[in-house]
Amino acid sequence: MENAKLKIIKKKDVLKFLDSLKKEYDIFVPIEKNGDIRFSKFNSEKDIPWNYRNTKIPPKEIFFPQTETLFSFEAGTSTLSNGSMTFTPIDESKSSAPGNKNYLIFGIRPCDAQAFSLLDKLFGGDDFQDPYYLEKRKQAIIISLACNKPQITCFCTSLKGKPDNEEGADIILFDLGENILTKPITKKGEEFIENLDSWFKEAKKSDVDKKNELMDLSLKKICSGVNLQNIKEKLDEAFDISFWNEIHQKCLGCGICTYLCPTCYCFDITDEIDHVAGGLAPSRGKRIRCWDSCMFPLFTLHASGHNPRLTYKERMRQRIMHKFNYCPENFKEIFCVGCGRCIRNCPVNLDLREVLVSLMSLGSLCKDKKI
Amino acid sequence: MNNPYLPMPVTIKKITIENEARDIKTFDLVFNVKKDNEKFKYTCGQFAEISMLGIGEAPIGIASSPMDEDSVQFTVKKYNTGVVTSALHNLCPGDMIGIRGPYGNGFPMKDFEGKNLVIIGGGFALTTLRSLTRYILHKKNRDHFKDVTVLYGARSPGELIYKSELREWEERDDINVYLTVDRGDENWKGRVGLVPNVLSEVAPSSKNSVALICGPLIMVKFTMLPIIDLGFEPDKIFFSLEMRMKCGIGKCGRCNIGTKYVCKDGPVFTYQELQGLPNEY
Repeated sequence: MENAKLKIIKKKDVLKFLDSLKKEYDIFVPIEKNGDIRFSKFNSEKDIPWNYRNTKIPPKEIFFPQTETLFSFEAGTSTLSNGSMTFTPIDESKSSAPGNKNYLIFGIRPCDAQAFSLLDKLFGGDDFQDPYYLEKRKQAIIISLACNKPQITCFCTSLKGKPDNEEGADIILFDLGENILTKPITKKGEEFIENLDSWFKEAKKSDVDKKNELMDLSLKKICSGVNLQNIKEKLDEAFDISFWNEIHQKCLGCGICTYLCPTCYCFDITDEIDHVAGGLAPSRGKRIRCWDSCMFPLFTLHASGHNPRLTYKERMRQRIMHKFNYCPENFKEIFCVGCGRCIRNCPVNLDLREVLVSLMSLGSLCKDKKI
Repeated sequence: MNNPYLPMPVTIKKITIENEARDIKTFDLVFNVKKDNEKFKYTCGQFAEISMLGIGEAPIGIASSPMDEDSVQFTVKKYNTGVVTSALHNLCPGDMIGIRGPYGNGFPMKDFEGKNLVIIGGGFALTTLRSLTRYILHKKNRDHFKDVTVLYGARSPGELIYKSELREWEERDDINVYLTVDRGDENWKGRVGLVPNVLSEVAPSSKNSVALICGPLIMVKFTMLPIIDLGFEPDKIFFSLEMRMKCGIGKCGRCNIGTKYVCKDGPVFTYQELQGLPNEY
């Protein structure tokens, strides 16, 4: 997009700006609480942590909450002969969406914005659409915030990312110190800024120069990387290699790498029922879905007792293969954005980058290297 | 937007106990809303999520034929570890539950036309094969298919399911039925022997034929040897696979074998397709 569309807003005006939008939007901003930053609803905050590194819990939770009601149901006057609920499902896909208000996601990191564009492919798709994710997603405007200070665990440049990656966002912001430079990416973003023109002024050349300088500097700060060229093709041959016997060894199977991954989407569906106080009969209930993890044995356990992914080895292999081989096959995209959350939060320091480096350094894999 | 997670209400019309151990039952379901009945157009080999509010959902193969108009049938084995199957087995006719689907690819029935079919089932896995056999035997369809051979085995005579229907099939002259049990009893006058061995004995021709195999994993594995010996090509051998599932629509991420999702790309795979997939099922 040409420089003419770049605008400036004063940093000290941003809170007022957001406040003015509160009527129209449900605004999500990074908010510090108990030492962690998390995307939460903007409620006349005093400050925006402009320098925040990244949230522990990825903002995927805005469209794909950790637990979400699919539908609820009430116990009618007659219950089934075994005491369970009669059939009165009440669809919650509409009520979980923001309703008349649109979502405004303000200040998410470019890697997390890119993750949305990946999740869109999964929850969209040409055969079945997931209304719970899509209803919220389509009503949202995503304003990302370019990274001035990447973390030591960041490796977005090994994937498709960079500190000012635009994919998945409608507008990207650059923190220039006293000013915020705004750059619309999509038509939606352009219109958003046009409609609120009074808050912005034209960017000067010096602003643009400063932005470019900051981004160059930031890019240089990302010093860890893996050359992932042809990783999909490499993994095509890698299912049976002895490599998988080693890398899972220290894994505890806690699943934090998948819970905190902005692109992990696997979920479970379960029912919850409420009882009238003191009574045994259920009064109402709901069907919920919640984040699940391929790192748990129960994930694939059949009722018969058979489990196709019985040990840590198969589960670790599934996680790596899913992101770097299966998704590239099914969605033409690697489902990793290099945010480094799985590395930062792993209790045993299992570093995805190291796993990928050793995978990529294996010579040409052939089927006869079976275990 | 259409919500694929919302089950359609159905009423249990009839429950049939299928085996001696009384842990396999067939449920005849009728849609409460007529429009749902029209939406639920299925082919042989597809499955649906059986839904019990407050309990959960379980993916079950459709046992009735698409030609059956009055109800949709599911044959369900109760596992003590299975929350939904256990709860389902406690229900009575008249109770209301939910289903959503149909899901999965099903058998490519059009491709089977003009061919001989060798149908091999073991235990209660006969369900979707029974759907297919009923479909073929329907008077509107029978002429489209050549010879039909059903080879079905169970652990004991009491564990053979769909007994009265099997008897009807045996009496017809347009289908060859071979029943076998691992162990007979005083009343059993039929074959005793494992499915793979009986298959070698019966030795159906592989010429212009397709083989369809459903059963316990161990039976399927050992049936592969004789079926290949008989000359069936890998793309003419069909399986229906099972996996733990939740969503049934390829989103929740658990039922994959490599890049393929059993709920969406399956549950029917050819041997040729399986050879190209990792051995993780």
